[in-house]
Amino acid sequence: MRKLTAVALAAVFALGSLAAARAATPILETGSSLLYPLMNIWVLSYQAKNHGVQITTQSTGSGTGISQAIAGVAQIGASDAYMGDPQMRGHRMLNIPLAISAQQINYNLPGLNNVHLHLSGPVLAGIYTGRIKYWNDPQIKALNRPYAGRLPHRTIIPIHRTDGSGDTFIFSQYLSFTTPMWSHGPGYGTSISWPSVATAVGANGNPGMVQACKATPYSIAYIGVSFINETNKAGLGFALLKNRAGRFLAPTASTIGSAAAAMYSKTPRDERISLVYAPGANSYPIINYEYAIVNPHQKNAQTRMALVKFLSWVLYHNGGQQMHFLNAVHFLPLPASIAKLSRMQIAQIH
Amino acid sequence: MLAGVLTSIAAGICLLLVVLMLLFLLWYTWPAIRYNGLSILNDITWNIGNQYGSGSSIHNGVAAEPGAEFGGLVFLVGTLLSALLAMVFAVPLALGVALTIVYRLPERLRLPINALIELMAGIPSVVYGLWGTIVLVPFVGNRVAPFITHHFGFIPFLGGDAGSGNGLFSAAIVLAIMVMPIMVATVRDVLLAQPRSVYEASMALGSTSWQAVTHAVLPSVRTGIVGAILVAFGRALGETMAVLMVAGNAINILPQNIFSPINTIAAVVVSQLESAVSDASGVAQRSLAELALVLFVISLAVNTIARVAIRGQDRSH
Repeated sequence: MRKLTAVALAAVFALGSLAAARAATPILETGSSLLYPLMNIWVLSYQAKNHGVQITTQSTGSGTGISQAIAGVAQIGASDAYMGDPQMRGHRMLNIPLAISAQQINYNLPGLNNVHLHLSGPVLAGIYTGRIKYWNDPQIKALNRPYAGRLPHRTIIPIHRTDGSGDTFIFSQYLSFTTPMWSHGPGYGTSISWPSVATAVGANGNPGMVQACKATPYSIAYIGVSFINETNKAGLGFALLKNRAGRFLAPTASTIGSAAAAMYSKTPRDERISLVYAPGANSYPIINYEYAIVNPHQKNAQTRMALVKFLSWVLYHNGGQQMHFLNAVHFLPLPASIAKLSRMQIAQIH
Repeated sequence: MLAGVLTSIAAGICLLLVVLMLLFLLWYTWPAIRYNGLSILNDITWNIGNQYGSGSSIHNGVAAEPGAEFGGLVFLVGTLLSALLAMVFAVPLALGVALTIVYRLPERLRLPINALIELMAGIPSVVYGLWGTIVLVPFVGNRVAPFITHHFGFIPFLGGDAGSGNGLFSAAIVLAIMVMPIMVATVRDVLLAQPRSVYEASMALGSTSWQAVTHAVLPSVRTGIVGAILVAFGRALGETMAVLMVAGNAINILPQNIFSPINTIAAVVVSQLESAVSDASGVAQRSLAELALVLFVISLAVNTIARVAIRGQDRSH
């Protein structure tokens, strides 16, 4: 027994010294579960060629990403949401877009998961406030004439995120921008005060949303597009969403691209802007910049250089912006003008 | 003599830790206590305020983000209801198991059964939680809840929405399973501490085994059993992970029936902490700590009563 303990201890110490011997500059990325799959692909590819840096990725949620970047625990806080003014007043952080993402509305409606229901902001707001209680509500029927007879008289179970989440942020922005009742009520944020709905369920992270929606018939959820493979595997349906021009669209490269194109010129120098409910006939209504929240003051020169180098690679058209990386998670690259703004922000890291 | 001194020192350190923890919580939550007043106990709305707005809401000189409101009633009710319902499921079962072990089980089976109970107590709560999400919640949502709401809906709190399976009922079942081992072990020890002659004398007087237990054994160990229940209740109140995974994370709404999603104080501290840290004013974090303080006080009270009850039982012998 004692011998076994000794061997085990020796093994632990050996592992420890092995880690120390590599002496690569550690960079910690944590936050958004929507950006996480892409971060992993990026880091894997980047590390294969850059041995001097050890990048660790974590899927925790945008709220944690922002707070840990502020606290200095993480060098990169991944967030689907830009920071609000009250938070920026306390901590001047850089909000650097790395890619363009979108969100789909998924549902688990037995028998109807293969059809794409038409949904609008006001109807979703009705569902998440409990005013629309059943799947065969006249307001849902009105948007879905061809399937009106097949919509069941079943209670809708709206699923929302419990953790601070950029997905909650862009979803609640879509509801706020389309529905006055919502904007005067819960409003938008990474964590909002959800209206009282007797059947509403909370889930943690995008993986938790997929799992809860899959396990719960007659539920509805908002899930980032980087989880399309998972939602397809789970057999969930996704909705066509009503945009500002009144058209119902699926999140595709073309519709996400049109929405983004409508917003490029409006993006300010600090790049904190919502892309939700963009104008344009072909614009998908829920898209966003995926942000790296970075502290402009890095205490350690070695860390700063490794961080700047990695972020620059991510923004480089022959680096992280290559389509084969982004296609894997259904994201879009930043257009040249926005990548330029992001690079100007990176130049502020000192 | 030395052992006595050491024991006193150890006891003193424990007491000091509890007092220090209370003082820290009080100091840290003070702004939240001032901001929230009584609403932490009697308001249902939990809203960290608009993090993208301007201005602030101010109560008693403490500023939080606009619209911020920290009502803990939903979580308080969820905590108490889930723990109470867990007791309803666990107490009869635990008593039955403990009585069986003491009075019915052959000696050679006692050891493995006792070992099994100890093993159950040692399983990490996240394992129970995982089982709850994967097995129990779908079963309750697809079978139990629709059946009960349909056939027994006329009974108060059993009718209405069957929900998704995530909720009070599932939370209570998981909690009941988790506290069973502690309760069985404590009741078993209480029963073993009591002279076997009580049971045997009653049997000798011609009562059935059931009568001997209900009329002679249980009344004589009443306080001990109450203590065991309270210890288990205290554990159920503070259980976090397993409840978080099956309770449905309800917010801003009180449960309508036993299948409604709920939230408990311990679970909400975990699930809302991340959102709370993004509150620039810091009041959200302190309000979560204030909820923790409320739970701390409740648990302390329940445990104190339990200790007193068990000690009372020991003295009577």
